[in-house]
Amino acid sequence: MNKFHPLSPVLKGFRLLVLAVIAISWRGLEQLQLEGWLATVAGLLVVLLAYSFIAWRFSGYEIVGRELRIHEGVLSRRVRTVPLERLQAIEVIQPFQARVFGLAELKLDVAGAEKSEAPLSFVPLERARELRAQLLMLSGGAQEVLDEHEEELFRVKNNDVVVSQFLTPPVMFTPLAVLYVIGQVVFNQDFGFFAIASMLSALFATLVAPVLRMLNFWHFRLARTADGKLRIRHGQLTARSQTVPVHRVQALTVTWPLLWRMKGWLRISLAVAGQGAGTPEGGGQKAETDRLLPVATLDTARAIVPHVLPSVDLAALPMTPVPRSARWLAPLRVRVLAAGLTERVFAAVDGFATRTLTLVPYERIQSVRITQGPWQRRLGLASVHADVAGGTPVTASHRSLPEAYQWIDELARRSDEARASRG
Amino acid sequence: MESQSLNALDPWPQTVQWRPVSPKMITVELVERAIWTVILLAITGTLWLIFSSAWVLVAGGALIVGTVGGTYFSIQAIRSYGYAERERDLLVRHGRLIRRLSIVPYGRMQFVDVTAGPLERAFGLATVRLHTAAAASDATIPGLEPDEATRLRDRLAALGEDRGEGL
Repeated sequence: MNKFHPLSPVLKGFRLLVLAVIAISWRGLEQLQLEGWLATVAGLLVVLLAYSFIAWRFSGYEIVGRELRIHEGVLSRRVRTVPLERLQAIEVIQPFQARVFGLAELKLDVAGAEKSEAPLSFVPLERARELRAQLLMLSGGAQEVLDEHEEELFRVKNNDVVVSQFLTPPVMFTPLAVLYVIGQVVFNQDFGFFAIASMLSALFATLVAPVLRMLNFWHFRLARTADGKLRIRHGQLTARSQTVPVHRVQALTVTWPLLWRMKGWLRISLAVAGQGAGTPEGGGQKAETDRLLPVATLDTARAIVPHVLPSVDLAALPMTPVPRSARWLAPLRVRVLAAGLTERVFAAVDGFATRTLTLVPYERIQSVRITQGPWQRRLGLASVHADVAGGTPVTASHRSLPEAYQWIDELARRSDEARASRG
Repeated sequence: MESQSLNALDPWPQTVQWRPVSPKMITVELVERAIWTVILLAITGTLWLIFSSAWVLVAGGALIVGTVGGTYFSIQAIRSYGYAERERDLLVRHGRLIRRLSIVPYGRMQFVDVTAGPLERAFGLATVRLHTAAAASDATIPGLEPDEATRLRDRLAALGEDRGEGL
């Protein structure tokens, strides 16, 4: 069994301590006084460190055949077994505190799991890279040594990342909140120190999300390895490097937020099976790790998307609009709604303010459904849904009924054929 | 594409043989609803004895109206259930108010569940459910006779195996 790095318990404890301090918050400081508060934090620190040290003694990992076994637990010891043939993607993450010591953790996305597995933390960065190459090799069933050579596809300008995060509703409304706080301080005499501190914390919290996103998408680089996998790297404080085999991508979503349209920008996210919404440790801000492009122009997107979905041109998808009768059910979206069966993918556009285009390759469709509500029935309309693993279904709303039936039959046939021809 | 008015519950007429679920399912539904109604009415009755407020009577009335309406719709929903095995996929349709039709290619199946709740068991019925890798997939067939449930499960399992892994 391989041990994790001896510093792991300290670094993990640090993470939990930050969460605990946030949980105690200003109110706690007010009630406990400074000495009491410091004593509480120090006490927590000792307990957490002791606990994580014991946990470290018994934890480790080993590779047996095509399985990765992870040993963990203090009171009840567990051995988690990860079947490597179901491995979807691996991410090498360097949280800030680990980066100082040159350590990294590995996050595994496994198909069929509700959420991401708890990460393997921490191992030296070099070891993390080796382990990733080894696990990916075993998951693909390949025997050859992986070629680590890669070709850079695109680099997102940090400038664009900053501007794009300023063009979001929370940031646009922040000046109003600041005015409110100033107004309270000037005109409301009863306003105590702790009330102001709490408000400042709240203000800080609204700004935290865009700032964290900026840091998360800093130095965003997209590359393609020699064996055709995508490698996505980003992050300022926490450096992430994610390797996604292209055939594991279940669906792709292109989003045009309202405020970005003046810049002609869009963002693209990937749905990968097993990359669940839950955070392994609970709490804290979840970094968005599903981006293919955090901010880009249409031209860039057109150049990048074919690397994920071959021969798909975003600007030339054969989409058909919905019948005019759909205006009774979706008055604003009737001109936006469109969908189509292209050569390789099923595509659907939706959204009035924030427009989204979702693409799913036929071989990734798990099942297809039609739903028809009572109003849709009166208008002769129905909605077509294509279900994918690890993502929300792709929905083409308000199609005419004959078309909807023709489509689901066609989608089921193409899904089956695409899967069969892949072998 | 035909422009004639399509029956929403019967696409591809003549080519698909729809099988209904057992009519005993309606009895199961009625018994289940009756039990719940009796329990809720007993609670309302107890409350009335304690508070004797007019609102309790209103709640009781609403309960009875809701039960009658709900029963009507659920009988309609059970009658609308149907499934069909095609060459490469399974079709399941249900719903009267909101109509739903699912197609699951056999090759996409991850596993098949057969379950039977206490009431279903008392009437000799079972529910077959197909799972794919997608959480949103909706292919549940309730109210099957045990023989039919076993036959369907075995057939689906065999077809799924023929066609390899789902994901």
